[in-house]
Amino acid sequence: MPTAQREQLKGYVPPMTYLKCENCGTVNSRPHVDGDYIFKSVEEKCPKCGATNMTIISIHVEEKNKRAK
Amino acid sequence: MHIFEALNPVNAVSDQISVLLQLLWFVFFISFFFLYPMFGQRAQMAFLLRDIEKKLNRLKLISDEVKQRTIQGIRQNGGTDQEDVLSQKLEGLLEYFYIQPESMDPVGIVYKLEHILNIGENRFEEQVASLVPSAPTHKVKSLTNLVEVARAVNFIYRVVRHYYLVGKKTANYVLALQLQMQLPQIIEIAEAYRNASFAFLNGQPIGDGVGVLVAAKFARESKIISTSEVVKDTSVSLAEFEGRKVYIVRATGPGGTVGKPGDAVLKVINDSNEKIDLIITVDAALKLEGEETGKVIEGVGVAIGGPGVDKFKIETIAREKNIPLYAIVIYQSITEAITPLKESIVKSAETALMRVKQLIKEKAPESGVVILTGIGNTIGIGM
Repeated sequence: MPTAQREQLKGYVPPMTYLKCENCGTVNSRPHVDGDYIFKSVEEKCPKCGATNMTIISIHVEEKNKRAK
Repeated sequence: MHIFEALNPVNAVSDQISVLLQLLWFVFFISFFFLYPMFGQRAQMAFLLRDIEKKLNRLKLISDEVKQRTIQGIRQNGGTDQEDVLSQKLEGLLEYFYIQPESMDPVGIVYKLEHILNIGENRFEEQVASLVPSAPTHKVKSLTNLVEVARAVNFIYRVVRHYYLVGKKTANYVLALQLQMQLPQIIEIAEAYRNASFAFLNGQPIGDGVGVLVAAKFARESKIISTSEVVKDTSVSLAEFEGRKVYIVRATGPGGTVGKPGDAVLKVINDSNEKIDLIITVDAALKLEGEETGKVIEGVGVAIGGPGVDKFKIETIAREKNIPLYAIVIYQSITEAITPLKESIVKSAETALMRVKQLIKEKAPESGVVILTGIGNTIGIGM
């Protein structure tokens, strides 16, 4: 990645989109794309049951190392 | 013996050196007392100004970066103006101003402020919409937020540059020192705005939207009877929750807007003939340093930020009709409030939802009526 682009992205952590299958209830995640919003119904295929009726339940940044200060 | 030592050529040389050193030290000491008052402060001032200049350059970089991102957002949403025309129109928007109403006579000032803000916000949004004529409404709203972020960063840069130049021109040490002391916090705010520009460009939900998220989750878990947009950018859903009627007020998403919750609550109360048992507002609140993000706290009053117009309206009508006001806030920092939602804040929305349900069950009788208002920017949060 060019230095200028890396400099621009410093400090910004892109969020993940979490989708729930309306058929089997599985929750899976993928990187956020333009157009995603919470409670949007999308026709994406569920990796578990193959149904194409999913709802975006959350869009947030994962916190891996959470420490109380 | 001392005479012989004095006559020794070796001793004579070392004496001369020590006398020379003493003389040098004396000259230095005297000059320090005379020169330091004249040039010492100037030397310190030069160090200060150099430090401020470095940080000012950083602010300029941030401002330019956010401006470029705004232009990118306009182009992505169908902006077809030429580069120079677009830059010129954007510059105009970045220097847009609101003049506060005269406060010498404060009677009626809230409504005067509301009038100015309504005209200003509508005009601002119109001008942004004219840059992207083919974009859908929710995209225009998100872009308007992005332009506002660029305007805020531009304003921070201009104000800091103003005080830097005034301090430099007048050699005002105290002014420059005060500016230097505050710059770390100012840069932190500018960096937060910089990260926020990504969220507004991509339509991602931000920490400030947690109040709206709680209201939306409540609506999804209740039995919805009806939903309508009662005032500009604000929806009211009527729901049934454990025998109670709940009016859920929130900004209309997924575009970036805070809506007019004050007007919506007024309309609900004036249009319905029922007695309202309580009004609950849910919003993000600023935490103190060292506090945990996502802490959920209950209090009284109206949890709404902004210039105070909506807060004033809800407080006035609640006092008139004797309706208790309860507030539930979710703590987060200024950076977390304007950058993409964090996992801890999403989890705290669940906790806040449980508290809202508990509060309704405790304070509203069965067949009672409650108004639940989710406050915040609804970008990235659908209905």
